[in-house]
Amino acid sequence: MITLIDYGAGNLHSLEGALDRLGFPHTRAERPSEAAPSGALVLPGVGHFHAAQMALQSRGWWRDMPQMVADGRPLLGICLGLQLLAEGSEESPKDSGLGLIPGIARRLGPGVKVPLMGWAQVQQQSSHPALPDPKGGWLYFVHSYALETDVETIYTAFHGRTFSAVKARGRVLGFQPHPEKSGPFGLVLLQKTLNWMGETSIDFQEEACN
Amino acid sequence: MAAKRVIPCLDVKDGRVVKGIKFQNLRDMGHPAELACRYDLEGADEVVFLDISATDEKRATQEAWVREVAHALSIPFTVGGGVSSVEGIRRLLRAGADKVGINTAAVNNPRLIAEAADVFGRQCVVVAIDAARDPKLGWRVFVNGGKKPTDLDAVAWMDQVAELGAGEILLTSIDRDGTLEGFDLELLQKAGRLSIPVIASGGAGTEMHFLEALQHGADAVLAATLFHEGTLPIPKLKTFLASQGVSVRR
Repeated sequence: MITLIDYGAGNLHSLEGALDRLGFPHTRAERPSEAAPSGALVLPGVGHFHAAQMALQSRGWWRDMPQMVADGRPLLGICLGLQLLAEGSEESPKDSGLGLIPGIARRLGPGVKVPLMGWAQVQQQSSHPALPDPKGGWLYFVHSYALETDVETIYTAFHGRTFSAVKARGRVLGFQPHPEKSGPFGLVLLQKTLNWMGETSIDFQEEACN
Repeated sequence: MAAKRVIPCLDVKDGRVVKGIKFQNLRDMGHPAELACRYDLEGADEVVFLDISATDEKRATQEAWVREVAHALSIPFTVGGGVSSVEGIRRLLRAGADKVGINTAAVNNPRLIAEAADVFGRQCVVVAIDAARDPKLGWRVFVNGGKKPTDLDAVAWMDQVAELGAGEILLTSIDRDGTLEGFDLELLQKAGRLSIPVIASGGAGTEMHFLEALQHGADAVLAATLFHEGTLPIPKLKTFLASQGVSVRR
């Protein structure tokens, strides 16, 4: 059972819709005590780094997430969720991230429109058991900050400079783009990631929109 | 590099899609989630919904259809129309909208843009601007569905909303809207120098018009009639744009 971490950062409906279409059972949890007893954790996120971190702290997630990961639970971060898993962000220099994935999110640009809002192509930097070579597939991005590329970068994207589109360390994996908002290709990546995290879909519907 | 986006716009009234030509002659076209999905499968990059219901009728139905759209769609969508407060924005984002469009309320209270950007992040704040050519101002901003003139110079207003924290501008030329004669390219050129993305709206009639708009500073192109009537299917438009060297998602 997938646990969606619900810390008031808005929209879980799209993610839930995507998981329903892929046939993955899921539940929302506002606090760690409400999480499913096992299975993948998903940390979504939109908005400001600091606000999100405060919300996660007040609901106990900030304290418990590292331990849950240490206990072997897979963790998927999406968008700001990925940045929160990293070491920090220029968006809120006084705050530190969870440090489960290396790197600091730095502002995109100069010379390009920020936020990046739209579709960008991703390329494989290193292979990963969860994910196929995307071969320039398009994913949907909405962000102003991004993690640099390093040895833990799986996919890269380009907006003014090359940045990490997917990073992973151990069983922690993060997407900068929104796979749940990226058409059929995004859904395939989401499905493969969750399968790799040990989740099984029970009722996969091939087509969107049903 | 970010792809240029193709965006169909659906007008919604009382939870049903209607088509507006110059804001008149409304006719029922079906459920928002159903029609948006058609565009999702066709390869639309986003969908914009403009809710034209009267404010008091709106609340009951709006959250329900926005939630259904969020559940069904695998691409992002924006909801606008009558949004006037941080609370109203929060309601739409919670129901599953990716972005919220504000128009008249931003003119009446520009601080709303900054407040919304602070609370939710600028990426979900779309400021919609309805502009018409004006002998004195160049382009004048209109509000209340394009019916009421303001004193605002549209080009100066664009700068101001970008400064206040808008994540994106949806720029509609009232003069061109529904004419099928092409976008107001001069207006787009003025918008193209902004540091935030601009969606061009109003006037698309041929695939060439979309190409021109993208070459004149638009980051995305929006149309309604042309797509709704099936005159120009989105896959055909994207094939054309790609053949002209425009980076589009396919």
